[in-house]
Amino acid sequence: MAAPWDDDFDAPIAGPSFIDRVRNAPDDDDGGDFAMHDGDDFETARGRVGGGLSVMGQDVAEETPFQQLIRHWMNERHAPDILPGQEMLLGRILDHVRKQSNDVELLRADPDSSEEEHFRIMLVQTEVERVKFIVRSYIRTRLHKIEKYARYISSAPDVHERLSKAELEHARRYSRLVEYHFKQSVLQSLPEQQQSLDEEVAFMPPMVAKPDKKRPVVARALVDCPPMRLPDGTSTEMKKGQISMTPYYVVEHLLLRGEVELV
Amino acid sequence: MSNANQYGDLATQLLTESRRSTATNTLLKYNDVLVRSIIREQRDLEAAIEAALAHSAAPAPDADPDATLGDDGPRNQKGENAYMPTVLLYQTAILRNKRCLLAYHHHRVEFLKDLYWSVGGALPLLLSLAPAPAPAAADASAGGAASAAPQDIRSKLSPHEVDFLRSYAASLLTLRTEAFSSASGAGAGLTEDVDLLAPISYPPKDLQVHVRVVRDCGIVHTELGAIDFKRGHRFLVRRSDIEHLIVQGYLEES
Repeated sequence: MAAPWDDDFDAPIAGPSFIDRVRNAPDDDDGGDFAMHDGDDFETARGRVGGGLSVMGQDVAEETPFQQLIRHWMNERHAPDILPGQEMLLGRILDHVRKQSNDVELLRADPDSSEEEHFRIMLVQTEVERVKFIVRSYIRTRLHKIEKYARYISSAPDVHERLSKAELEHARRYSRLVEYHFKQSVLQSLPEQQQSLDEEVAFMPPMVAKPDKKRPVVARALVDCPPMRLPDGTSTEMKKGQISMTPYYVVEHLLLRGEVELV
Repeated sequence: MSNANQYGDLATQLLTESRRSTATNTLLKYNDVLVRSIIREQRDLEAAIEAALAHSAAPAPDADPDATLGDDGPRNQKGENAYMPTVLLYQTAILRNKRCLLAYHHHRVEFLKDLYWSVGGALPLLLSLAPAPAPAAADASAGGAASAAPQDIRSKLSPHEVDFLRSYAASLLTLRTEAFSSASGAGAGLTEDVDLLAPISYPPKDLQVHVRVVRDCGIVHTELGAIDFKRGHRFLVRRSDIEHLIVQGYLEES
């Protein structure tokens, strides 16, 4: 997590002119906002100039926050179960997006900006929109799962720590809401013996939907993984970069440790 | 049960309706009549079970002490044994009907949620009674939001479903204001930066977008200043400024 902010979406504007410009920006009304830009940010920003970015084949430690987000986003979209939320990461990215938007506003307002800079500004704005898209999709994916398994989540304490406080609250509210709706529409008119919502009947699927951990997923090893046990009892290892398809529960612990990613 | 030949027939009809709704991707009218008749069937079945149990206890008065056995009591009576299959049959029908009822309602709820998201959370728009100025907007725009102006959704909902949608929207609103308020500390929640309700089908490719106004939507403040969107006009505007209007069917990408 300590990796310096260094990602591909703002790389095009990482040239010194942008940074100097922001630094020497005339003290207009927005000047106050820059109090929160401490020098370190600019140093790291400057440090990345010319640092080539190779998206593929990077070590996990070198991932930029945005690449991390993309990885978590893909994992979340492919995993049947709900994964631990990345609140810190999201917070940092959103903070940065906000900062970038402020910078862009300032530069746009500056009449001295050259043609070339305006072009760069456009690139930054587009990239910011695309980052927001991923953030949105990530949150919505989680939300979808939370609602799908709301009743399971509110009854299983071990899932709680994977959700943020707001998400957990929503899961509780949602499961109450659905139960209330069922009660109002159907159950209250039924005879008393038939009103329960969590009966376990032989030969019928349970009434509380749970994530299907047996669902096949395609996983790629980010590092050499320790042996994992396959459903038939044998065990196997994945070398770095290897891609395999397994039931989700086989790679679950590797995924939580960040040793594999779902693709 | 006048119109039902078999237990469970009505429930099957209900499920067929759900399937049809999925297959055509349309919301069918809430089938109150059918739901009610299934509920009636449930009551009849429950009564039938009770009757069977009473029967099984009654015709064996010679072994009176066991006459008051509960419905799941041990079958140590010949008479009760004879009635057990009947009870089992009723019980199975009851369980199946109940699951079908719940499945029907659940399916509708999911559909309504999709609808809610597809109009960008504009609940008033969704529930507006008869959308009078909804001309031939049904020609699904080629853009991502293929949600044509919703035609009179409300009349297809049961009152409980309207309540559900309202509470759902309220819950989401709470989520959006609460979420990440702790992460940045600045107090500005997630909502300011990322519009959760914007579409997520395709990532944005351009900053600007050409739009055609399909329905008047008054003056909107954009990055370029206030624009009065009048029907028939075309504009080149910043996507993020007016995305919600596209989703809600006021503007169309061209």
